[in-house]
Amino acid sequence: MRLPSFEYLEPRNVEEALEMLAGHAGRAAVVAGGTDLIVRMKQRLAQPAFLVSLKQLGGLNYIRRENSLIAIGATTPLVSLRDSDLIKTHFPSLAGAARLIGAPSIQHLRGTIGGNLCLQTRCLYYNQSPFWRSGRPPCHKDQGKICYAEENSDRCRSANQSDGACALMGLGAGIVLSSTRGTRSLPIEDFFTGKGESPFAAGPDELVTEIRIPVPGNSEGSSFQKLTYRSAVDFALVSATAWLAVEKGRISRARLVIGGAGASPLLLKETSDKLVGKDVHDKHAVEETARQARNHASAFMVDNLGSTLEYRKKMSAVMAKRAVQKALDRCLGNSSVKGRKSQEDQKS
Amino acid sequence: MKKIPLVLSVNGEEYDIYIPPNRTLLEVLREELELTGTKEGCGEGVCGSCTVLCDGFPIRSCLTLAAEVQGTEITTVEGLKNEDGQLDLVQQSFIDRGAVQCGFCTPGMLMSAKAFLNRNPSPSEDDVRKGLSGNICRCTGYTKIVEAIMEVAKKK
Amino acid sequence: MKKAHTLIGERVPRVDSLAKVTGEVRFSGDLIFPRMLVGMVKRSPLAHARILHVDTSRAEKLKGVKAVVAGKDTAGVKWGVFGYTQDMELLPRDKIRYFGEEIAAVAAVDEDTAMEALNLITLDLEELPAVYDPFESMASEGPPIHEGYPNNINIHVHIDVGDIEKGFRDSHLVREDTFTADEDSYFQGEPYAAVARFDDAGNLEMWMPNAGPHMKAKPLANLLQMPLHKVRLRKIAIGGAFGGRSEISPADYICALLARKSGRPVKIVYTREENSVNIRMGHALVTTIKTGVDSKGRVLARDITCYMDGGAYSSTGPIATSVPFLCMEQAYRMDNVRYNGYRIFTNKPVRGMIRMHGRSFACGVDLQLDMLGKELGIDPVTMRLVNARRAGDFTPTGSHVASCALTECIEKAAEKAGWKEKYGNLPAWRGIGIGVNSVQTGFPLGIRGGSQAFIKFNEDGGVTLISGVVDNGQGNDNMLVQVVAEELGLEVSDVTLITADTEVTPNDPGSYSMVSTFAGGNAARLAAVDARNKLFEIAAKAMEANPDDLVLENKKIFVAGSSDKFLSLQKVVRMGLIQGHPVSGEGHYAPKVDQRREWVKNPKGQLSEAFSFGATIAEVEVDPETGMVKTLEVTAAQDVGRAINPMVLEGQFEGSIAMGGQGGMLTEYHFWDKGRCLNPTQLEYKVPLAADMPKINNIIVESLDPAGPYGAKEAAMSIAMSAAQAYASAIADAIGTTIKDFPMTPDKILAAIESKKEKG
Repeated sequence: MRLPSFEYLEPRNVEEALEMLAGHAGRAAVVAGGTDLIVRMKQRLAQPAFLVSLKQLGGLNYIRRENSLIAIGATTPLVSLRDSDLIKTHFPSLAGAARLIGAPSIQHLRGTIGGNLCLQTRCLYYNQSPFWRSGRPPCHKDQGKICYAEENSDRCRSANQSDGACALMGLGAGIVLSSTRGTRSLPIEDFFTGKGESPFAAGPDELVTEIRIPVPGNSEGSSFQKLTYRSAVDFALVSATAWLAVEKGRISRARLVIGGAGASPLLLKETSDKLVGKDVHDKHAVEETARQARNHASAFMVDNLGSTLEYRKKMSAVMAKRAVQKALDRCLGNSSVKGRKSQEDQKS
Repeated sequence: MKKIPLVLSVNGEEYDIYIPPNRTLLEVLREELELTGTKEGCGEGVCGSCTVLCDGFPIRSCLTLAAEVQGTEITTVEGLKNEDGQLDLVQQSFIDRGAVQCGFCTPGMLMSAKAFLNRNPSPSEDDVRKGLSGNICRCTGYTKIVEAIMEVAKKK
Repeated sequence: MKKAHTLIGERVPRVDSLAKVTGEVRFSGDLIFPRMLVGMVKRSPLAHARILHVDTSRAEKLKGVKAVVAGKDTAGVKWGVFGYTQDMELLPRDKIRYFGEEIAAVAAVDEDTAMEALNLITLDLEELPAVYDPFESMASEGPPIHEGYPNNINIHVHIDVGDIEKGFRDSHLVREDTFTADEDSYFQGEPYAAVARFDDAGNLEMWMPNAGPHMKAKPLANLLQMPLHKVRLRKIAIGGAFGGRSEISPADYICALLARKSGRPVKIVYTREENSVNIRMGHALVTTIKTGVDSKGRVLARDITCYMDGGAYSSTGPIATSVPFLCMEQAYRMDNVRYNGYRIFTNKPVRGMIRMHGRSFACGVDLQLDMLGKELGIDPVTMRLVNARRAGDFTPTGSHVASCALTECIEKAAEKAGWKEKYGNLPAWRGIGIGVNSVQTGFPLGIRGGSQAFIKFNEDGGVTLISGVVDNGQGNDNMLVQVVAEELGLEVSDVTLITADTEVTPNDPGSYSMVSTFAGGNAARLAAVDARNKLFEIAAKAMEANPDDLVLENKKIFVAGSSDKFLSLQKVVRMGLIQGHPVSGEGHYAPKVDQRREWVKNPKGQLSEAFSFGATIAEVEVDPETGMVKTLEVTAAQDVGRAINPMVLEGQFEGSIAMGGQGGMLTEYHFWDKGRCLNPTQLEYKVPLAADMPKINNIIVESLDPAGPYGAKEAAMSIAMSAAQAYASAIADAIGTTIKDFPMTPDKILAAIESKKEKG
C-alpha cells in the first residue's frame, strides 16, 4: 500500500522542528515511530503535505526524576517505560500499560510514549481502507457529516483506545507542549478535547515534548487493566486505570479512568470522589464504584470497537473493579493478585 | 514528489539509493534492493511478516519510512547466515524441529526470534510465546516454533 | 523383495525448509520480471447493481497506463465449478453482486500510476435492492441475485436414508436444537498475488497461490478462449490455502487479460483486505438438528436442516453444502438420517470450502450428544464410543469404510487427557470436552480424480520426480520426496522435484480434496516401483540373479543378504542407457470412488476410498467475571492410516487446533456493516497468537489403510473440526450450560453464565 506524497523534513533539534511546524502549520505532521500515523496515511485518513521526522531529537528520550516529579521525554520508547525501575516502582500502571501495547516490535524503537499519548481516536467504521469508505458520504471524523457507528449522531463517536493515555490520565500527568511561541504545560484532562473529530487541544504548531507525573507517596498505588480477546496486538475493548492513596486505613485520594469510552480517556471525578474516605477493606464500596463507572462509561460508548456494546459496558465495571482492587493492594504493600484473566500490570 | 538520496546499510552492505521519501523500508527492501525475503502480510503492522532488525531491535518495516532508518544497521533474513554461508543456529533449529510449514511468516519469525534470544538468553516457554506475540503464524499453531527457539536457547 | 522401511515414519526435516529459512524461496508476490507492470483492480462501491456503463477512457489516456480492462474485454464466458453452477464471469458485464466485486482493472508502470488510473475510471451503476442475510434473501421480493434461482436458493442437497420417522418413534429420548455460526475465514499468511506473462507465441505463463494448478488451468483456458496446452501454470511457493485457493479467481483472469492486452508481464498483489474479501471465506451457517437416541445413547435417527450463506456466486456450492453432513455421517453410525442443506445467495463476498467446515453443524452434532448423554446419565466420551464409526461399515450414503481406528483415537485421547479423573471432578469454572469427526480422503472429481507421476534418471544416478501434486505449505513436496527416496534407496537430498507445473506435470486432483498423499503419493510410489523394477531387470541380467531376489538400498542393488556384491544405482542407470533401454518410471493412481456419485443429483455411492478419523479433547478454564477462556491443554488423536512423517503430522495437528479450536471456537468471525466486512484484517479478525495457544498432546493412530501409500490417508483436517467441537464441549462443561451460537466469544459466555444464574 503506497503512502501518499509528502515532503520529508529532518530537523536536527527541537528548535528546528518547532520552526518547521510553525512554518507549515496545519499541513505538517510529526513522525516519531509512525506506528499510528503511517497506517492512517496508508488508509488516506491523514495526508499531511509535510512530515517532520523526530528521529534526530534524541534529546527527548529520557526518564528522570526532577525533585517531586518524574519527567519522561516524548520520544521515549515504550520498552524503556516497560523496563524502567523508576517507572515500575512508582507507576506500575504505566509500566503495565507499556507492556500491553502492541507487541515487542512496536515497543522497541518505534512505539513512543508521546506517540501513544497522541494515538488518534478509533472506530471500526473509520479505520478502514479508502475503498471500504467509498461509495457513501464520509463520516464526521473523515471531514463529513454523518456517523455510521451511531445512527443520527451529529458528532463523532470514535473512542480513545490508547493504553498510555488511559494510564497517564489516571496518574494525573502534566503534558508539556512546545512551539515557537514558547512552552506551556497542561494538566492531561485539558489535553483531550473529548471531540472525536479533533481529540487533542494542541495547536497545529505545537509538539508534545514532555510528560510529567508527580512522584507518588509511600502509601499510593496504581493499576492499569485492559480487556482484549488476545494476549497482545489488540487495542483495548475497554480499559481502566485506578490511582489511589491510603491514609490510616482509609482511601485518601482516588482517581479512576475508563479507556475506550469516548474520545478522551474518561476521568470519573464524581465516582473517584465517592471512594475517598472509604475503608480500604470495604468491598461494597469497590462494587459500587465499579457500578458507577459502568453507568458513566456507558453513556459514552457506542457499538464501534468490536465485541458487543453490552459486553463492553459490563466489562467497564469489571476493569474498574480490578484496577481499584489492585491499586489498593499496592497501596497496602500487598502483592496478592485478584482476578484471574484480565491482562494486568503484573511485574514481569 | 521530489526524490531524496539515501544511504542504507542492509546486512552489512551499503546501498546508495534515490527514492521518493514516502517509501517504507519494506518497499525499499523488496523493490529497490530486490531482497524479497521480508514479506508484506498485512501492511498495517499487525502480522509481523515484515519484521527486520534495526540496530538489533525488531521493527515493523511496513510502518517504517526508509528515510527514518538511514544511519542504522538493518538486518533482514537474508543477512542471518554468517560470512561462511552457514545458517544461524535459529535457522537450523527451525528446519530441524519442523517449525516451517508454508514459510511465509518464517522470515519475520526468525528476526523476532533472533532479537528475542539476544536479549533473553535463558527464557521460559512463556517468555518465548510473549516474545513472539507480534508475529502471526497461521500454519503451525506456534508449537514447533517455540520448541525450536527453546532449543537454541538451551544450546547457547 | 520386501525390506524394512527406513524413511517411512521418520521425522525427516522437510526438504523445502532451507529455502524458506534463508528467505530465498519465492512466493507469487516476490516475482520480478523485466518490464513488469503493476496491476490493480477497480471494485464496485455498491453491493447489488446493474452495470450501465464503465468508462475507462480517461484511465487509458493516463501516462504510464499500459492496459485497462473491463467486462467488455472479456469473451463473456461464465465459469462455474460444475456445469450446472456456471454463474460467474469474473469480470462482469451486466451486474454487480457484492460490495467490492471486480469491475475493471489497470496495468501501469508503477503503483502510484495504477492508483491514479483507478480513480479515473467512472462507473455508471443502477443500484438494486441488496440482501445480506439468507432468510432475508429467501424472502426477498426484489430482483433475484441470479436469474433462474427463485428465492435466491443456490443449492439444495437432499439426503434421506432409512426411516427417520420410525427412528424417532423408537427413540428413548429426542431433542432438537438450532446452532448458528458467523463466517470464518482463512487468513493465509500470504496475501493473494497473481503474475502473468505471454510469450510471442501466445503461450501464457502464470504464477499464483493455488490448490491444484491443473484445476485452475482449464477454466482459465476456457475464459481466455485459448487451448489448454498454451496455458501454463507454474510451480510457486504458496503461503497457505486452507481450502480457499482452489478455484480460479478474478485476480487470475484479470491478470492474464492485462498481460495479453499490454503485451508485458503483469503482477497483481492483493492487500490483506482483498485477500479476505475478494477470494473466498467460510460460510455462515444456521443448523437445526433433531436427534433421537436409545437408552444406551445410540443414535436412532437424525434430521438436519442447514441454511448456508453462500454470498454472491455458487463457487463450490454443491460440495460446501454437502461436506458438513458427510463428515458427520462418516464419523458416526446411524441407520436413519435425513439432511436438507440449502445454500442461499446473498449480496456478500463469495463463500467456499474451509478447513473447519461448518462450525455450527459439527459442534451442534457433538454438543447434542453431550446434552442427550447428560439426560441419560452417560458421559460424553461414552456417547462418542457407542456411536463411533467402525472399519467395515457403510456410511448412510453408501461409502464402505475400509480402515477406521476411531475407537482407538477416542480411548487414547481420553486416557492421555485424564478424562476419567477429570470429567465431573474439575474445580468450578474448569471444563473438559470432546469432539469427534472424520474427513474424506478425496472425492469424485471425474476426469481429474487421479494423479500420475513420472520418474527420470540422470546419468549420475540422480532422480527427478515429475508430479502434478501441489504444496500449499503442508509438506506435500516433502512427502513425495520421502516416498521416492524410500522406494529407490536414496537420501531425500538425492531426489529432485518438478511439481505443479501444468506444462510439464501430468494431471493431479490438487490438494483441496485432501487426497495429495493418497493419490499423489501413491502415484509417485508406483512410479518409483516401476523404475525400480526396470532397474532390477537390467541388474538381474548383469548379476545373473533373479530380479525378485534383488533389493535397492543406499543407492546399491544387490541380492538380499549379499550386500558386498552390488551394482551401484548409477551403474545400472548407465547400463540402461548404453543398452538402449533408458530407465524411467510411470505410476498413476485414481481412488476407487463411484464416479456416478453427484453432490446434488445422486448423493450416494463410494465418496472416497478412505476416511480419516479424529478425536480431540480440550480442557479449559473460564473466568466467570469476564467470560474469557484460558485453554489449558488440548489432546488430539487422529487415525491417519500411516504416519509417513510424524514431525510434519504433528505440525498439522497443532495448526489445526489453532485454527479450528482456539481461533475457530473462541475468537474468529466476520462481522458486517450490511455488505461491508468490518474486520477484513488480522487486527480485528482475531487469529490466535503464540501466547494464546495451550499445551498440545499429539497422538498419531495408524489403522494402515489397505489402499493408501504405506497405509496413509488424510491427516489433520479432522483435528481442525474435532478441536472446535472439543472446545465447545469443554466450555459447556465449564459453565454448566450449552451455547449454541459460535464462536463462543467472551460476551456470549458471560451472557450464558448470567442467564443460567438467573434461571437458578
